[in-house]
Amino acid sequence: MKLAVMSCIHGNYEALNAVLSDIDRHKTDQIYCLGDLVGYGPHPNAVVEMIRSLDIPTCQGCWDEDIVDGLNACDCSYPSQLAEKRGKQAHEWTDQVIHPEVREYLANLPITLQAENLAFVHGSPNSQHEYLLPSMDGFAALERVLSTGADVLFCGHTHVPYVRDLEGGKLSMRVHQPGQAETQKQSTVSLKRIINAGSVGEPRHGRPNATYVLYDTDSKQVTLREVPYDYQKTCLAIVEQGLPPIFAWRLARGMEFAERADDPNHVCQR
Amino acid sequence: MNNPSFIAVAGPSGSGKTTWIQQSFKDQTAPLFYFYPGLDTISVDLMRLGYGFPEVQVIPDQQAQQVLSSLPDGAVVYLELGFHLSLESPLLSALPCHQVAVVPPYLQESEWHEWADEIVLGNDIAMLDAVKQPELWHTPLQGQVFDPPSLEVVLVELTGGAYGKVHRLKGIFEMPDGQALYIDFVAGLEGIEYTELNIPRWLEGRPHRLSGIEVTGYNLEQKLIAQTLLDGSLADDMIASYQQQYKTLNPVEEEIAV
Repeated sequence: MKLAVMSCIHGNYEALNAVLSDIDRHKTDQIYCLGDLVGYGPHPNAVVEMIRSLDIPTCQGCWDEDIVDGLNACDCSYPSQLAEKRGKQAHEWTDQVIHPEVREYLANLPITLQAENLAFVHGSPNSQHEYLLPSMDGFAALERVLSTGADVLFCGHTHVPYVRDLEGGKLSMRVHQPGQAETQKQSTVSLKRIINAGSVGEPRHGRPNATYVLYDTDSKQVTLREVPYDYQKTCLAIVEQGLPPIFAWRLARGMEFAERADDPNHVCQR
Repeated sequence: MNNPSFIAVAGPSGSGKTTWIQQSFKDQTAPLFYFYPGLDTISVDLMRLGYGFPEVQVIPDQQAQQVLSSLPDGAVVYLELGFHLSLESPLLSALPCHQVAVVPPYLQESEWHEWADEIVLGNDIAMLDAVKQPELWHTPLQGQVFDPPSLEVVLVELTGGAYGKVHRLKGIFEMPDGQALYIDFVAGLEGIEYTELNIPRWLEGRPHRLSGIEVTGYNLEQKLIAQTLLDGSLADDMIASYQQQYKTLNPVEEEIAV
Protein backbone atom coordinates (compact mmCIF):
# COMPACT_ATOMS: atom_id res chain seq x y z
CA MET A 1 0.00 0.00 0.00
CA LYS A 2 1.34 3.39 -0.97
CA LEU A 3 0.71 6.30 1.41
CA ALA A 4 1.24 10.03 1.10
CA VAL A 5 1.71 11.91 4.38
CA MET A 6 1.70 15.68 4.58
CA SER A 7 1.74 18.24 7.35
CA CYS A 8 1.83 21.95 8.22
CA ILE A 9 -0.09 23.50 5.34
CA HIS A 10 -0.60 26.78 7.20
CA GLY A 11 -3.23 28.29 4.95
CA ASN A 12 -1.06 28.01 1.84
CA TYR A 13 -3.57 26.88 -0.78
CA GLU A 14 -1.16 27.13 -3.73
CA ALA A 15 1.31 24.80 -2.03
CA LEU A 16 -1.46 22.35 -1.08
CA ASN A 17 -2.71 22.20 -4.66
CA ALA A 18 0.78 21.51 -5.96
CA VAL A 19 1.32 18.72 -3.42
CA LEU A 20 -2.05 17.14 -4.18
CA SER A 21 -1.19 17.13 -7.89
CA ASP A 22 2.17 15.53 -7.14
CA ILE A 23 0.47 12.89 -4.97
CA ASP A 24 -1.97 12.23 -7.78
CA ARG A 25 0.90 11.57 -10.18
CA HIS A 26 2.35 9.01 -7.76
CA LYS A 27 -0.95 7.09 -7.60
CA THR A 28 -1.12 6.61 -3.84
CA ASP A 29 -3.75 4.53 -2.08
CA GLN A 30 -4.26 6.81 0.90
CA ILE A 31 -3.35 10.34 2.03
CA TYR A 32 -2.87 11.35 5.68
CA CYS A 33 -2.52 14.88 6.99
CA LEU A 34 -0.77 15.73 10.26
CA GLY A 35 -2.48 19.04 10.93
CA ASP A 36 -1.64 22.73 11.12
CA LEU A 37 -4.06 23.44 8.32
CA VAL A 38 -4.26 27.09 9.36
CA GLY A 39 -2.04 29.89 10.68
CA TYR A 40 0.28 32.43 9.02
CA GLY A 41 -0.97 31.75 5.48
CA PRO A 42 -3.69 33.71 3.64
CA HIS A 43 -6.17 30.93 2.79
CA PRO A 44 -7.12 29.02 5.96
CA ASN A 45 -10.74 28.39 4.96
CA ALA A 46 -9.90 27.19 1.45
CA VAL A 47 -7.28 24.78 2.75
CA VAL A 48 -9.65 23.23 5.30
CA GLU A 49 -12.42 22.95 2.71
CA MET A 50 -10.06 21.15 0.33
CA ILE A 51 -8.93 18.67 3.00
CA ARG A 52 -12.53 18.05 4.03
CA SER A 53 -13.77 17.63 0.49
CA LEU A 54 -11.13 14.97 -0.18
CA ASP A 55 -11.95 13.26 3.11
CA ILE A 56 -8.29 13.08 4.09
CA PRO A 57 -7.77 11.60 7.59
CA THR A 58 -6.22 14.47 9.53
CA CYS A 59 -4.98 14.95 13.06
CA GLN A 60 -5.06 18.21 14.93
CA GLY A 61 -2.03 20.50 14.79
CA CYS A 62 -0.94 23.08 17.33
CA TRP A 63 -2.28 25.98 15.25
CA ASP A 64 -5.58 24.17 14.76
CA GLU A 65 -5.79 23.70 18.52
CA ASP A 66 -4.88 27.34 19.20
CA ILE A 67 -7.63 28.57 16.89
CA VAL A 68 -10.13 26.45 18.82
CA ASP A 69 -8.82 26.85 22.38
CA GLY A 70 -6.94 30.15 22.23
CA LEU A 71 -3.29 30.83 22.86
CA ASN A 72 -1.86 29.23 25.97
CA ALA A 73 1.46 28.17 24.61
CA CYS A 74 4.40 26.80 26.48
CA ASP A 75 7.86 28.32 25.91
CA CYS A 76 8.58 25.94 23.05
CA SER A 77 5.99 27.53 20.79
CA TYR A 78 7.93 30.75 20.40
CA PRO A 79 11.70 30.77 20.62
CA SER A 80 11.95 34.56 20.56
CA GLN A 81 9.95 37.58 21.56
CA LEU A 82 9.73 38.68 17.93
CA ALA A 83 8.43 35.26 16.87
CA GLU A 84 5.80 35.47 19.60
CA LYS A 85 4.59 38.90 18.44
CA ARG A 86 4.40 37.73 14.85
CA GLY A 87 2.70 34.50 15.85
CA LYS A 88 0.07 36.44 17.76
CA GLN A 89 -0.54 38.73 14.78
CA ALA A 90 -1.07 35.70 12.57
CA HIS A 91 -3.32 34.06 15.18
CA GLU A 92 -5.52 37.15 15.52
CA TRP A 93 -5.88 37.50 11.75
CA THR A 94 -6.75 33.81 11.32
CA ASP A 95 -9.15 33.94 14.27
CA GLN A 96 -11.03 36.79 12.61
CA VAL A 97 -11.38 35.32 9.12
CA ILE A 98 -12.04 31.68 9.90
CA HIS A 99 -15.55 30.38 9.19
CA PRO A 100 -17.56 28.82 12.06
CA GLU A 101 -17.83 25.43 10.33
CA VAL A 102 -14.07 25.42 9.74
CA ARG A 103 -13.44 26.11 13.42
CA GLU A 104 -15.81 23.28 14.32
CA TYR A 105 -14.03 20.92 11.96
CA LEU A 106 -10.67 21.82 13.51
CA ALA A 107 -12.10 21.33 17.00
CA ASN A 108 -13.15 17.78 16.19
CA LEU A 109 -9.88 16.60 14.72
CA PRO A 110 -8.26 13.71 16.60
CA ILE A 111 -4.88 14.16 18.30
CA THR A 112 -3.58 10.83 17.01
CA LEU A 113 -4.46 8.60 14.09
CA GLN A 114 -3.56 4.93 14.00
CA ALA A 115 -3.54 2.43 11.12
CA GLU A 116 -2.16 -1.03 11.91
CA ASN A 117 1.50 -0.49 12.91
CA LEU A 118 1.52 3.16 11.85
CA ALA A 119 0.75 6.16 14.06
CA PHE A 120 0.21 9.73 12.92
CA VAL A 121 0.61 12.81 15.14
CA HIS A 122 1.31 16.48 14.58
CA GLY A 123 4.12 17.16 17.07
CA SER A 124 4.53 14.12 19.30
CA PRO A 125 2.19 11.65 20.98
CA ASN A 126 2.53 13.85 24.11
CA SER A 127 1.38 17.09 22.59
CA GLN A 128 0.74 18.84 19.31
CA HIS A 129 3.23 21.44 20.54
CA GLU A 130 6.16 19.16 21.25
CA TYR A 131 8.96 18.97 18.69
CA LEU A 132 10.44 15.62 17.78
CA LEU A 133 13.68 17.04 16.46
CA PRO A 134 16.10 14.68 14.72
CA SER A 135 18.66 15.53 17.41
CA MET A 136 16.31 14.51 20.25
CA ASP A 137 17.78 12.10 22.79
CA GLY A 138 17.43 8.56 21.43
CA PHE A 139 15.77 7.15 24.53
CA ALA A 140 13.19 9.95 24.61
CA ALA A 141 12.50 9.49 20.90
CA LEU A 142 12.06 5.74 21.39
CA GLU A 143 9.71 6.36 24.31
CA ARG A 144 7.52 8.56 22.11
CA VAL A 145 7.21 5.83 19.48
CA LEU A 146 6.62 3.05 22.03
CA SER A 147 3.85 5.09 23.68
CA THR A 148 1.80 4.76 20.49
CA GLY A 149 2.22 0.99 20.17
CA ALA A 150 3.22 1.52 16.53
CA ASP A 151 6.40 0.68 14.67
CA VAL A 152 6.40 3.82 12.55
CA LEU A 153 5.50 7.23 13.89
CA PHE A 154 4.72 9.97 11.38
CA CYS A 155 5.02 13.53 12.65
CA GLY A 156 5.37 17.09 11.42
CA HIS A 157 5.65 20.38 13.35
CA THR A 158 9.42 20.92 12.85
CA HIS A 159 8.87 21.84 9.18
CA VAL A 160 12.04 20.01 8.21
CA PRO A 161 11.49 16.47 6.88
CA TYR A 162 13.62 13.60 8.12
CA VAL A 163 13.67 9.85 8.69
CA ARG A 164 15.11 8.49 11.91
CA ASP A 165 15.62 4.79 12.53
CA LEU A 166 15.76 3.67 16.14
CA GLU A 167 17.36 0.25 16.04
CA GLY A 168 19.10 -2.06 18.43
CA GLY A 169 17.39 -0.44 21.39
CA LYS A 170 17.96 -2.30 24.65
CA LEU A 171 15.81 -1.48 27.63
CA SER A 172 17.05 -2.32 31.13
CA MET A 173 14.79 -2.06 34.16
CA ARG A 174 15.82 -2.46 37.79
CA VAL A 175 12.98 -2.66 40.27
CA HIS A 176 13.80 -2.18 43.92
CA GLN A 177 10.91 -2.61 46.38
CA PRO A 178 11.18 -2.35 50.15
CA GLY A 179 11.66 -5.76 51.74
CA GLN A 180 12.19 -7.50 48.44
CA ALA A 181 15.21 -8.42 46.42
CA GLU A 182 16.04 -6.22 43.46
CA THR A 183 14.82 -7.58 40.14
CA GLN A 184 16.23 -6.84 36.72
CA LYS A 185 14.58 -7.12 33.34
CA GLN A 186 16.06 -6.57 29.95
CA SER A 187 14.41 -6.47 26.58
CA THR A 188 15.43 -5.58 23.07
CA VAL A 189 13.24 -3.28 21.04
CA SER A 190 12.79 -4.06 17.39
CA LEU A 191 13.32 -1.40 14.77
CA LYS A 192 11.18 1.68 15.25
CA ARG A 193 11.06 4.59 12.92
CA ILE A 194 10.14 8.28 13.05
CA ILE A 195 9.24 9.92 9.75
CA ASN A 196 8.81 13.66 9.67
CA ALA A 197 6.76 14.87 6.71
CA GLY A 198 8.18 18.41 6.65
CA SER A 199 5.84 21.22 5.69
CA VAL A 200 3.59 21.84 2.73
CA GLY A 201 2.96 25.52 3.25
CA GLU A 202 5.72 26.86 5.45
CA PRO A 203 9.01 25.15 4.66
CA ARG A 204 12.11 25.79 6.67
CA HIS A 205 14.77 24.17 4.58
CA GLY A 206 16.06 27.24 2.76
CA ARG A 207 13.90 26.86 -0.35
CA PRO A 208 10.25 27.79 -0.82
CA ASN A 209 9.28 24.34 -2.14
CA ALA A 210 6.63 22.30 -0.37
CA THR A 211 7.65 18.98 1.20
CA TYR A 212 5.78 15.77 2.07
CA VAL A 213 6.56 12.03 2.16
CA LEU A 214 5.55 8.91 0.30
CA TYR A 215 5.64 5.62 2.23
CA ASP A 216 5.32 2.10 0.91
CA THR A 217 3.96 -0.17 3.66
CA ASP A 218 5.24 -3.30 1.89
CA SER A 219 8.79 -2.28 1.03
CA LYS A 220 9.00 0.22 3.98
CA GLN A 221 10.53 2.64 1.52
CA VAL A 222 10.28 6.33 2.39
CA THR A 223 10.51 9.02 -0.30
CA LEU A 224 10.86 12.64 0.77
CA ARG A 225 9.22 14.78 -1.90
CA GLU A 226 10.04 18.42 -2.56
CA VAL A 227 7.51 20.13 -4.79
CA PRO A 228 7.99 23.53 -6.45
CA TYR A 229 4.90 25.70 -6.69
CA ASP A 230 4.01 29.30 -7.50
CA TYR A 231 4.93 30.66 -4.07
CA GLN A 232 4.77 34.23 -5.42
CA LYS A 233 0.98 33.87 -5.62
CA THR A 234 0.89 33.03 -1.92
CA CYS A 235 3.26 35.92 -1.16
CA LEU A 236 1.00 38.31 -3.03
CA ALA A 237 -2.06 37.00 -1.18
CA ILE A 238 -0.28 37.46 2.17
CA VAL A 239 0.26 41.14 1.40
CA GLU A 240 -3.23 41.61 -0.11
CA GLN A 241 -4.90 40.06 2.92
CA GLY A 242 -3.12 42.47 5.27
CA LEU A 243 -0.85 39.91 6.91
CA PRO A 244 2.65 41.20 7.76
CA PRO A 245 4.68 41.48 4.52
CA ILE A 246 7.67 39.94 6.30
CA PHE A 247 5.77 36.60 6.13
CA ALA A 248 5.93 36.81 2.32
CA TRP A 249 9.63 37.69 2.36
CA ARG A 250 10.41 34.73 4.63
CA LEU A 251 8.20 32.29 2.71
CA ALA A 252 9.98 33.17 -0.55
CA ARG A 253 13.28 32.17 1.06
CA GLY A 254 12.13 28.98 2.74
CA MET A 255 12.78 30.59 6.11
CA GLU A 256 9.47 29.84 7.82
CA PHE A 257 7.29 32.71 8.93
CA ALA A 258 8.27 33.11 12.54
CA GLU A 259 8.37 29.91 14.49
CA ARG A 260 11.30 27.60 14.96
CA ALA A 261 12.53 25.19 17.59
CA ASP A 262 16.01 25.10 18.98
CA ASP A 263 16.02 22.94 22.06
CA PRO A 264 15.84 19.21 21.27
CA ASN A 265 15.60 18.34 24.97
CA HIS A 266 12.64 20.52 25.76
CA VAL A 267 9.60 18.65 27.01
CA CYS A 268 6.46 20.56 26.19
CA GLN A 269 4.62 21.62 29.36
CA ARG A 270 1.41 22.67 27.70
CA MET B 1 57.70 72.39 19.39
CA ASN B 2 56.24 69.58 17.25
CA ASN B 3 53.66 70.55 14.68
CA PRO B 4 50.45 68.53 14.66
CA SER B 5 50.08 65.79 12.05
CA PHE B 6 46.94 65.37 10.01
CA ILE B 7 45.99 62.04 8.47
CA ALA B 8 42.95 62.10 6.19
CA VAL B 9 41.38 58.69 5.54
CA ALA B 10 38.93 58.08 2.71
CA GLY B 11 37.50 55.11 0.84
CA PRO B 12 34.23 53.47 -0.09
CA SER B 13 31.64 52.66 2.58
CA GLY B 14 32.59 49.47 4.41
CA SER B 15 36.18 49.35 3.13
CA GLY B 16 37.57 49.47 6.67
CA LYS B 17 38.48 53.13 7.25
CA THR B 18 37.38 53.22 10.88
CA THR B 19 39.02 49.88 11.61
CA TRP B 20 42.31 51.11 10.10
CA ILE B 21 42.14 54.32 12.14
CA GLN B 22 41.40 52.44 15.36
CA GLN B 23 44.31 50.08 14.71
CA SER B 24 46.54 53.12 14.21
CA PHE B 25 45.47 54.53 17.58
CA LYS B 26 46.98 51.51 19.31
CA ASP B 27 50.54 52.42 18.29
CA GLN B 28 50.39 56.07 19.26
CA THR B 29 51.69 57.88 22.33
CA ALA B 30 50.93 61.38 21.03
CA PRO B 31 47.72 63.25 21.90
CA LEU B 32 45.11 61.79 19.55
CA PHE B 33 42.18 63.54 17.91
CA TYR B 34 39.43 62.19 15.67
CA PHE B 35 37.33 64.27 13.33
CA TYR B 36 34.59 62.97 11.04
CA PRO B 37 33.09 66.00 9.31
CA GLY B 38 29.32 65.86 9.17
CA LEU B 39 29.02 62.87 11.48
CA ASP B 40 26.08 63.01 13.82
CA THR B 41 26.73 62.84 17.55
CA ILE B 42 24.72 59.60 17.74
CA SER B 43 27.13 57.87 15.37
CA VAL B 44 27.95 54.26 16.18
CA ASP B 45 31.61 54.89 15.27
CA LEU B 46 31.83 57.65 17.85
CA MET B 47 30.19 55.45 20.48
CA ARG B 48 32.62 52.63 19.76
CA LEU B 49 35.51 55.03 19.81
CA GLY B 50 34.40 56.33 23.20
CA TYR B 51 34.23 52.80 24.62
CA GLY B 52 37.46 51.51 23.06
CA PHE B 53 39.69 54.58 23.09
CA PRO B 54 38.52 56.99 25.78
CA GLU B 55 41.83 58.85 25.52
CA VAL B 56 41.06 59.97 21.95
CA GLN B 57 39.46 63.39 21.77
CA VAL B 58 36.58 63.59 19.32
CA ILE B 59 36.26 66.95 17.56
CA PRO B 60 32.63 68.03 17.14
CA ASP B 61 31.72 69.77 13.87
CA GLN B 62 30.80 73.01 15.60
CA GLN B 63 34.14 73.25 17.44
CA ALA B 64 36.36 72.05 14.60
CA GLN B 65 37.88 75.41 13.77
CA GLN B 66 38.60 76.23 17.39
CA VAL B 67 40.09 72.81 18.27
CA LEU B 68 42.15 72.53 15.08
CA SER B 69 43.70 75.94 15.66
CA SER B 70 44.78 75.17 19.21
CA LEU B 71 46.11 71.62 19.02
CA PRO B 72 48.72 70.54 21.57
CA ASP B 73 52.33 69.78 20.64
CA GLY B 74 52.76 66.63 18.57
CA ALA B 75 49.02 66.01 18.26
CA VAL B 76 47.90 63.52 15.64
CA VAL B 77 44.53 64.27 14.04
CA TYR B 78 42.70 61.59 12.07
CA LEU B 79 40.08 62.92 9.65
CA GLU B 80 37.71 60.28 8.40
CA LEU B 81 35.85 61.19 5.23
CA GLY B 82 32.47 59.62 4.75
CA PHE B 83 30.96 58.77 1.39
CA HIS B 84 28.96 62.01 1.52
CA LEU B 85 32.07 64.24 1.53
CA SER B 86 33.91 65.20 -1.67
CA LEU B 87 37.64 64.52 -1.84
CA GLU B 88 37.98 68.07 -3.15
CA SER B 89 36.47 69.55 -0.01
CA PRO B 90 38.02 72.92 0.95
CA LEU B 91 38.51 71.47 4.42
CA LEU B 92 41.10 69.04 3.08
CA SER B 93 42.99 71.57 1.04
CA ALA B 94 43.22 73.84 4.09
CA LEU B 95 45.09 71.21 6.13
CA PRO B 96 48.49 69.65 5.41
CA CYS B 97 47.13 66.09 5.40
CA HIS B 98 48.82 62.80 4.69
CA GLN B 99 46.10 61.22 2.55
CA VAL B 100 45.31 57.54 3.06
CA ALA B 101 42.80 55.63 0.94
CA VAL B 102 41.39 52.35 2.23
CA VAL B 103 40.10 50.49 -0.82
CA PRO B 104 38.95 46.98 -1.70
CA PRO B 105 41.82 44.86 -3.11
CA TYR B 106 40.18 44.38 -6.51
CA LEU B 107 39.83 48.12 -7.14
CA GLN B 108 42.77 49.22 -9.28
CA GLU B 109 41.71 52.69 -10.40
CA SER B 110 39.44 55.16 -8.67
CA GLU B 111 39.17 58.70 -7.42
CA TRP B 112 40.66 57.47 -4.14
CA HIS B 113 43.75 56.12 -5.91
CA GLU B 114 44.33 59.48 -7.59
CA TRP B 115 43.82 61.36 -4.35
CA ALA B 116 45.85 59.24 -1.93
CA ASP B 117 49.47 59.45 -0.80
CA GLU B 118 49.14 55.96 0.61
CA ILE B 119 46.89 53.06 -0.41
CA VAL B 120 45.73 50.55 2.19
CA LEU B 121 44.03 47.37 1.03
CA GLY B 122 40.81 46.98 2.99
CA ASN B 123 37.73 44.76 2.88
CA ASP B 124 36.71 42.96 -0.30
CA ILE B 125 33.34 44.72 -0.39
CA ALA B 126 30.66 45.27 -2.99
CA MET B 127 30.72 48.85 -4.29
CA LEU B 128 27.80 51.19 -3.85
CA ASP B 129 25.86 52.48 -6.82
CA ALA B 130 28.08 55.26 -8.23
CA VAL B 131 25.13 57.26 -9.54
CA LYS B 132 22.60 57.13 -6.75
CA GLN B 133 23.68 58.28 -3.29
CA PRO B 134 22.62 55.79 -0.59
CA GLU B 135 20.44 56.70 2.37
CA LEU B 136 21.89 56.76 5.85
CA TRP B 137 19.44 55.89 8.61
CA HIS B 138 20.43 55.86 12.22
CA THR B 139 18.78 55.91 15.59
CA PRO B 140 19.95 55.87 19.19
CA LEU B 141 19.00 52.76 21.16
CA GLN B 142 20.05 53.91 24.60
CA GLY B 143 18.13 52.09 27.32
CA GLN B 144 16.92 49.33 24.98
CA VAL B 145 17.93 45.76 25.83
CA PHE B 146 17.42 43.12 23.16
CA ASP B 147 16.13 39.59 23.25
CA PRO B 148 19.13 37.83 21.58
CA PRO B 149 17.18 35.43 19.30
CA SER B 150 14.90 38.27 18.20
CA LEU B 151 17.88 40.46 17.41
CA GLU B 152 19.40 37.68 15.37
CA VAL B 153 16.20 37.36 13.33
CA VAL B 154 16.01 41.13 12.76
CA LEU B 155 19.62 41.30 11.63
CA VAL B 156 19.22 38.37 9.22
CA GLU B 157 16.14 40.01 7.72
CA LEU B 158 17.69 43.48 7.57
CA THR B 159 20.93 42.37 5.94
CA GLY B 160 19.01 39.96 3.69
CA GLY B 161 17.04 42.86 2.17
CA ALA B 162 13.65 42.46 3.85
CA TYR B 163 13.41 46.19 4.59
CA GLY B 164 15.36 47.60 1.64
CA LYS B 165 18.79 46.97 0.16
CA VAL B 166 21.33 47.26 2.95
CA HIS B 167 24.94 47.98 2.05
CA ARG B 168 26.27 48.57 5.53
CA LEU B 169 24.94 48.07 9.03
CA LYS B 170 26.69 48.77 12.27
CA GLY B 171 25.33 49.00 15.74
CA ILE B 172 25.89 48.72 19.44
CA PHE B 173 23.25 46.59 21.16
CA GLU B 174 22.72 45.88 24.84
CA MET B 175 22.13 42.25 25.85
CA PRO B 176 20.17 40.94 28.86
CA ASP B 177 23.32 39.53 30.47
CA GLY B 178 24.73 43.07 30.65
CA GLN B 179 27.09 42.76 27.69
CA ALA B 180 27.13 45.32 24.90
CA LEU B 181 27.81 43.96 21.41
CA TYR B 182 29.26 45.80 18.45
CA ILE B 183 27.63 44.40 15.30
CA ASP B 184 29.00 45.00 11.83
CA PHE B 185 27.74 43.96 8.40
CA VAL B 186 29.18 44.93 5.02
CA ALA B 187 27.52 43.74 1.78
CA GLY B 188 29.89 41.44 -0.07
CA LEU B 189 31.59 40.16 3.09
CA GLU B 190 30.44 36.88 4.57
CA GLY B 191 28.22 36.95 7.63
CA ILE B 192 27.56 39.45 10.36
CA GLU B 193 30.37 40.21 12.81
CA TYR B 194 29.57 40.27 16.53
CA THR B 195 32.17 41.72 18.92
CA GLU B 196 31.74 42.00 22.66
CA LEU B 197 32.74 45.48 23.80
CA ASN B 198 35.28 45.53 26.58
CA ILE B 199 33.15 47.50 29.02
CA PRO B 200 31.53 46.48 32.34
CA ARG B 201 28.32 44.46 32.23
CA TRP B 202 25.26 46.59 32.95
CA LEU B 203 23.16 44.61 35.40
CA GLU B 204 21.04 47.29 37.11
CA GLY B 205 17.98 48.06 35.00
CA ARG B 206 18.05 49.79 31.64
CA PRO B 207 21.58 50.77 30.61
CA HIS B 208 22.40 54.47 30.87
CA ARG B 209 25.09 54.41 28.22
CA LEU B 210 25.25 54.95 24.48
CA SER B 211 24.00 52.40 21.97
CA GLY B 212 22.51 52.73 18.51
CA ILE B 213 22.28 51.50 14.94
CA GLU B 214 23.30 52.91 11.55
CA VAL B 215 22.15 51.51 8.25
CA THR B 216 23.37 52.60 4.81
CA GLY B 217 21.46 51.43 1.75
CA TYR B 218 18.66 52.04 -0.68
CA ASN B 219 14.85 52.14 -0.31
CA LEU B 220 15.12 51.56 3.43
CA GLU B 221 11.77 51.10 5.17
CA GLN B 222 12.88 53.11 8.15
CA LYS B 223 9.68 53.01 10.21
CA LEU B 224 9.37 49.26 9.75
CA ILE B 225 13.01 48.70 10.74
CA ALA B 226 12.52 50.79 13.89
CA GLN B 227 9.29 48.95 14.79
CA THR B 228 10.82 45.52 14.21
CA LEU B 229 13.78 46.42 16.40
CA LEU B 230 11.41 47.58 19.13
CA ASP B 231 9.42 44.34 18.85
CA GLY B 232 12.62 42.51 19.77
CA SER B 233 13.52 44.70 22.73
CA LEU B 234 12.69 43.63 26.27
CA ALA B 235 10.24 45.09 28.79
CA ASP B 236 11.42 46.23 32.24
CA ASP B 237 10.30 43.08 34.04
CA MET B 238 12.08 40.83 31.55
CA ILE B 239 15.29 42.85 31.83
CA ALA B 240 15.13 42.63 35.63
CA SER B 241 14.47 38.90 35.47
CA TYR B 242 17.41 38.20 33.13
CA GLN B 243 19.76 40.40 35.14
CA GLN B 244 18.77 38.67 38.37
CA GLN B 245 19.26 35.29 36.72
CA TYR B 246 22.74 36.30 35.57
CA LYS B 247 23.68 37.57 39.03
CA THR B 248 22.43 34.36 40.65
CA LEU B 249 24.45 32.20 38.27
CA ASN B 250 27.54 34.43 38.50
CA PRO B 251 27.77 35.69 42.09
CA VAL B 252 30.47 38.29 42.68
CA GLU B 253 33.12 36.71 44.88
CA GLU B 254 33.70 38.72 47.98
CA GLU B 255 37.25 39.65 48.76
CA ILE B 256 38.64 37.83 51.75
CA ALA B 257 40.43 40.08 54.21
CA VAL B 258 43.68 38.58 55.52
